[in-house]
Amino acid sequence: MAQLSVRGVVVEFKTDAYLRTTLKATALDVFWPRRASSRTVRALREVSLDIGAGERIGLIGPNGAGKTTLLKVMAGIYPPQRGEVHIEGRVCPLFEFATGFEMDATGWDNIRTRALLLGMSARQIEDKIEEIGRFTELGEFLEVPVRCYSAGMLLRLTFATSTAVEPEILLLDEVMAAGDASFIQRARARMDDMMERARIVVFATHALDLLPKICERAVWLDQGRIVLDGHTPDVVGAYLDDVERRRD
Amino acid sequence: MVRTEDGSRATEWDEVRAACGSAVSSLRDALAAVELWRIWWRLGIQDLRLRFRRTVLGVGWILVQLVVMILAVGAVYGSLLGQDLHAFLPFLTVGLVVWSFLTASIVEGGSALIASEGYIKQIGLSIHVYILRCFVSVSISAGISFAAYAILAAVYRVPVGSGTLWVIPGLVLLGLIGLFFIVIFAHLNARFRDTAHLAGVGMQVLFYVTPVLWPAEMLRGRSLGWIVDVNPFYHLLEAVRQPLLSSRPATFENYVVGLVVAVCLGVAASGVVAFYSRRIVFVL
Repeated sequence: MAQLSVRGVVVEFKTDAYLRTTLKATALDVFWPRRASSRTVRALREVSLDIGAGERIGLIGPNGAGKTTLLKVMAGIYPPQRGEVHIEGRVCPLFEFATGFEMDATGWDNIRTRALLLGMSARQIEDKIEEIGRFTELGEFLEVPVRCYSAGMLLRLTFATSTAVEPEILLLDEVMAAGDASFIQRARARMDDMMERARIVVFATHALDLLPKICERAVWLDQGRIVLDGHTPDVVGAYLDDVERRRD
Repeated sequence: MVRTEDGSRATEWDEVRAACGSAVSSLRDALAAVELWRIWWRLGIQDLRLRFRRTVLGVGWILVQLVVMILAVGAVYGSLLGQDLHAFLPFLTVGLVVWSFLTASIVEGGSALIASEGYIKQIGLSIHVYILRCFVSVSISAGISFAAYAILAAVYRVPVGSGTLWVIPGLVLLGLIGLFFIVIFAHLNARFRDTAHLAGVGMQVLFYVTPVLWPAEMLRGRSLGWIVDVNPFYHLLEAVRQPLLSSRPATFENYVVGLVVAVCLGVAASGVVAFYSRRIVFVL
């Protein structure tokens, strides 16, 4: 039974770690400090959310609201400084596409690596790899090292591999930015198929017109807090009203 | 809310409990990653294969590198130190293989998590998978180099007998120490990016003071034997070298020092995992 719940989750980032990334810099900082205190950004402030099997949730909010951070907490990538996370079911995250590749390896190698990391067994990978390769429509480029790929090609590679996993919990983060028109059309069909098979879907997006068709429940995040959590048309409406109001 | 003396002590105790709880779950997480051997084993092998992908000899370069080093160093130092090549070359080979395994554990171990940053930030898999992946590639490299030693030993007819089996505890100690080095430096180097480099420089200096290129007897003869005995790496080397070269176990002192080093590093590695594993993603 798939289930996802976060309780009182707090995630903070220290913004000046870059000043002390070496022992030398840290030692110098002890004798000649550049800054009185380190700045902390609270990406999530006491966020609590319960998602049961069968739910599809849209995450909306302005940039910097904490949508990506919340998704990463749900994926088990960021352990929260405070609060609890309870995840039941296999998680398939679809986040950024620019990183997470072996640059000198071919497209095929990267498909295998990513599929392994996402939890597919060697047998499953061999069964599905032809189909994954076909979906990317990269043809002979799959034999070429990935360092030669464009952003769109990397997107296709990651998307095709990640959607071949049978997910119980699907976490999506504004994923369609780099695709071309034909790919987006095919990707949408594959995503719909995947979303139907998944028990829980959490989808962070700015495409607000699309949301009521996909998710029946929406959560509006702003500055790390949940502002509103409810029926999608209501939440989207309230968010858009707020945006209008701020503009005036 | 009124904070009584008891109240404030209660919240401190809660924080300590929370810290211990997270430490325990980090350690459990590390052990659970071992079960995912199918993933880190394949990734480790793939790393090795990719490193030599566009070369002519592929993984064979590891052997070539070692053989060239042995011939060059062996010829020069052999005559410099007045050593009989029959005994000296095998001695040198084992020393070099063990030393490069330890150095690789530190230097490559240091970039184990940094190199996997993309995966760590996108896929919620335990970071220890990437540490074990590094261990696989470093160990297999060393294993291939050991094959070079085996050939050399056959050529120079190094005595092999039941006593040679004593190399197994030595190799176990070596493997554990290598693994603990990778765990420690992967975490430390992710936070302080010059740690592995500094430790690598330290190993370079130690290389000249440890009996790798020269036999320990040369210093003992000049009553400077303490330099050798005080060096834990010497004892680790002997635990592997003695059984292989003379088919008998190393001295009791060698094994005790090796075990103490392994235990200390194990405790340090556990401490690093318990208190740092969960926060590593925030410094990558």
